[in-house]
Amino acid sequence: MKFDLNGETVEVQSPPLTTLLTVLREEMGVTSPKVGCDQGGCGACTVLVDGKPQRTCLTPVAAVDGASVTTIEGLGDSEHLTAVQQSFVHHYAAQCGFCTPAMIISATAYIDAGGSSDHVEIQEALKGHACRCTGYQKIVNAVAAAVTQSDFDLTTTTPTPNTVIKTANPAVKTGG
Amino acid sequence: MAKHRGFGISSIEYPTGMNQNGDPSQAWIKVKPDGRVDVFSGTADIGNGAKTIQSQIVAEAIGVPYDWVTFDNSNTDSSPVCTGTFASRATFVAGNAVLKAAKDVKQKILEIAGKEMEISPDDLEIVDGEVLVKGAPTEKLGVADVAVAATWTHGVLMTGTGAQLNEFAEIVDPETGEVSGPPHAAISYAACAAEVEVDDETGDVRVLRLIQAYDVGTAINPSLVEGQIEGGALMGLGLGVLENSYPYYPSTDHRGYSIGSYYMPSSEDMPSYETIIIENPSADGPYGAKGIGEMANNGQPGAIAAAVHDAVGVWISELPISPELVLRALEAKAEPRREGKLVAFDDEKSVNTVATGISWTP
Amino acid sequence: MKAVGARLPRYDGVGHVTGQTQYVDDVRVPGMLWAKALRSPVDHAAITRFDTTKAEAMHGVHAVVTWRDVPLLEFGHLSALGIPADEPLLAKDEVRYKGQPIALVAADDLATAQAAVEAIEIEYENRPTLFDVRKAFDADAPKIHSWGNWYPHFEGEMDRRQIRKGNIDEAFDNADKIISGVYRPAAIEHVPIETQIALAVPEPDGRITIYSCTQALYFSLGVVAAHLEVPMNKIKIVGGTVGGGFGGKVDTAADTLAAIAAMKAARPVKWRWTREEEFLASSTRAPWHMEIIDAVTNDGWILGRKMLTLHDSGAYARFSPYGLTKHSFHHTGAYTIPNLHFDGYVVFTNRTPTTAMRGFGVTSISFAVETHMNRVADEMGFDPYEFRLKNANRINDTSPNRIRYTDPSSVDVIHAIADAAGEELAPAYAAATRDPREGDMLPEHLVGQLKTEGH
Repeated sequence: MKFDLNGETVEVQSPPLTTLLTVLREEMGVTSPKVGCDQGGCGACTVLVDGKPQRTCLTPVAAVDGASVTTIEGLGDSEHLTAVQQSFVHHYAAQCGFCTPAMIISATAYIDAGGSSDHVEIQEALKGHACRCTGYQKIVNAVAAAVTQSDFDLTTTTPTPNTVIKTANPAVKTGG
Repeated sequence: MAKHRGFGISSIEYPTGMNQNGDPSQAWIKVKPDGRVDVFSGTADIGNGAKTIQSQIVAEAIGVPYDWVTFDNSNTDSSPVCTGTFASRATFVAGNAVLKAAKDVKQKILEIAGKEMEISPDDLEIVDGEVLVKGAPTEKLGVADVAVAATWTHGVLMTGTGAQLNEFAEIVDPETGEVSGPPHAAISYAACAAEVEVDDETGDVRVLRLIQAYDVGTAINPSLVEGQIEGGALMGLGLGVLENSYPYYPSTDHRGYSIGSYYMPSSEDMPSYETIIIENPSADGPYGAKGIGEMANNGQPGAIAAAVHDAVGVWISELPISPELVLRALEAKAEPRREGKLVAFDDEKSVNTVATGISWTP
Repeated sequence: MKAVGARLPRYDGVGHVTGQTQYVDDVRVPGMLWAKALRSPVDHAAITRFDTTKAEAMHGVHAVVTWRDVPLLEFGHLSALGIPADEPLLAKDEVRYKGQPIALVAADDLATAQAAVEAIEIEYENRPTLFDVRKAFDADAPKIHSWGNWYPHFEGEMDRRQIRKGNIDEAFDNADKIISGVYRPAAIEHVPIETQIALAVPEPDGRITIYSCTQALYFSLGVVAAHLEVPMNKIKIVGGTVGGGFGGKVDTAADTLAAIAAMKAARPVKWRWTREEEFLASSTRAPWHMEIIDAVTNDGWILGRKMLTLHDSGAYARFSPYGLTKHSFHHTGAYTIPNLHFDGYVVFTNRTPTTAMRGFGVTSISFAVETHMNRVADEMGFDPYEFRLKNANRINDTSPNRIRYTDPSSVDVIHAIADAAGEELAPAYAAATRDPREGDMLPEHLVGQLKTEGH
């Protein structure tokens, strides 16, 4: 069987019930979709199949026969980052980075399908993606900004609005 | 059959560094022939941003642009000892090691520059990758040129090393717990206020809002500090209302085995975060920094428990504050035992009630 | 351009958003084998029969590792801190928790490895179980370790962590109210999105490279070297880029066994834990049982605290004695309490050994002490902000272990949230600072414990 992987036709050697996740990682050498749980629960294996986000750990490779599969490598690279990728860098939306490629896949699909910058809607759209590091806030900030903006300053990062930094009252130190 | 709002607060403290210290971190730095800086540190980056923070410290301490710094923490052959990324020590202890290494290599750069410029190194400084004469900044020599000179004129490899080890604090008397010195590298403080909404029919507790203030010493990278605060807040929320490895504790039965049967917070569990970062520099941290990573998930459960009491009038002293616990508490409407001066809550859970081999009297 | 204080982007930010950041599972090595573990299905049992012959004979199986293959079977990770070994890397003749590893199989693929695990012949004879830390001291409690159910090697071979300060009886006599409560935070999981994983590669020069998800490269290097009884330069730990840890990737859970399997098979071996294993067999945050009794005055001072802590360590000690020690040092929270009586035990139960997790030892204090503070305030009619500000650490106050606070910012953070919450504080409290106590903020009972010199 064959499918289109990031613009190139690839032929599959693995048996048809092998998960697309295993085929991508072990046969095709594309390691951006991660084995986070292999149970369909964490979303870290998500790629676009015919433009829609899909969990590859639950997809037998036979199911993508003739389909087009897009991983993060097919969206953008370090020389040409997409708006969503740039926004994630600019908003400090990744910490350990393990959930990030899949998160960006779903965020991209959400925006391409006309998703709004409303934070509650973004939280709902991304609820299938587990992130343990960020508390999700900066991911939501990044996606909201990428709805309307396509270029971001990559030399600096933007805070969550309303965060305040203050200097403590100076201490009057005595003795000792 | 109603939802009730409640508000509660907590204030906490947390140490930086391994308890009782004695946890070394070391680093070494070399300068490439074109002036770029290679840092070898043993500190793992678990998402906390060790690679970022230590590169910032080195860039600042030497005086070169951030993107001149290459950071290698990848293996134990080229990197020296770092006890590890835990105990909130990566910024303070490991950061101090790279800071010392950076100051050390800066001195080597200034010495070569001094020879090239025929000026005492004491009269030189480095700004944005250029060696300048203090007070006469038009006289300059690029760090890149200094590196060329070191490599091909002077035959010198410019390196710096640094090690940080806070003295181990012995327990001098195990009967009292007295220690020989501060058992931490620094102490941070934080406070948290939580607003919750409790449904008295389902027992569900929604955390709507978390106001949090953290003293981090110095925020070396404020975005990174916020990331810890926001991430820690949601982890604290999970500890407070959602998560339990043993839902039938103390039994080991019926454990959650998937993301779904174990209730890890999702994006829909987010409260609104209001974050206040307070800079109260530490005496010995790099640029006054203190740790933040762990403390970030400690303040929420206490504030949430108080907020639940404010909302529906019951104290839950177990975690997580699950719907079952809320409903049982609403049903029981338990009052503490009052005897003279004594006000005793939770008698039924005490060792005095449950155990025969250990007891405890006020 | 200043670097410190600047909101610079992550060093690895572009790598993360392009999927180029490399984690252990993304490393590809020719000839790599896959590993699966045999784990105990029961909470506490003797192993009465254990035969790996069939598994070893299976086609595609290259190594079956058991306790016999481990040069030093028991190594205490914190032996440098005086915490001796009590846990075998692989079970020998008994299992003490459900999920305890008994054998590791390395095979051509995951399916073969799993089939071989299931072909291992093993029989168990169940033993009585202990799950409730409160019952660990009962005369008829089942024994988890040969000496009993709690860790006995604190300094001076004490069987508990103790803090004693001032005169607790006098504090209780002088109190207007004595308020007690019991606090029980649960065990929770770290849930890093990257599970435990190690890839061990035997090198041509006789060394072994371990691609590791450890949070502590040198700590893990030391652990592996100790178990293998080799010098540190025989092993190279490659890592530093971890998909989340939160304290759960310090136990060095996969590195050593992957290395032994790789050496036995003379092939690279990857051992990637499933999410089920991550939930059911990896170490957790500890459950704690804490009883707090505070002696309080009507004008809002905490005169003294008595506290009993039972720390549920699970089946083995791991880092629990360290965690309990830290817990004891911080059991007054952000407040200055001059009369203290703390007893804490590291208690063993038949569950997965507990380990460090974000805040280790103090997270439990923060919940217990803060809930207790709020209860006391409610019971006695105190404003929760003022009650805290009054008792909060000041310069020259001392800690439970008699260390002087040199620059506490407890007052600052409480003021900050009061301000953000729109709370108006009474003038005396709004004017509070961290300066050394004086006037109304220095009651008689605190005079003796102030320290102006030394640590």
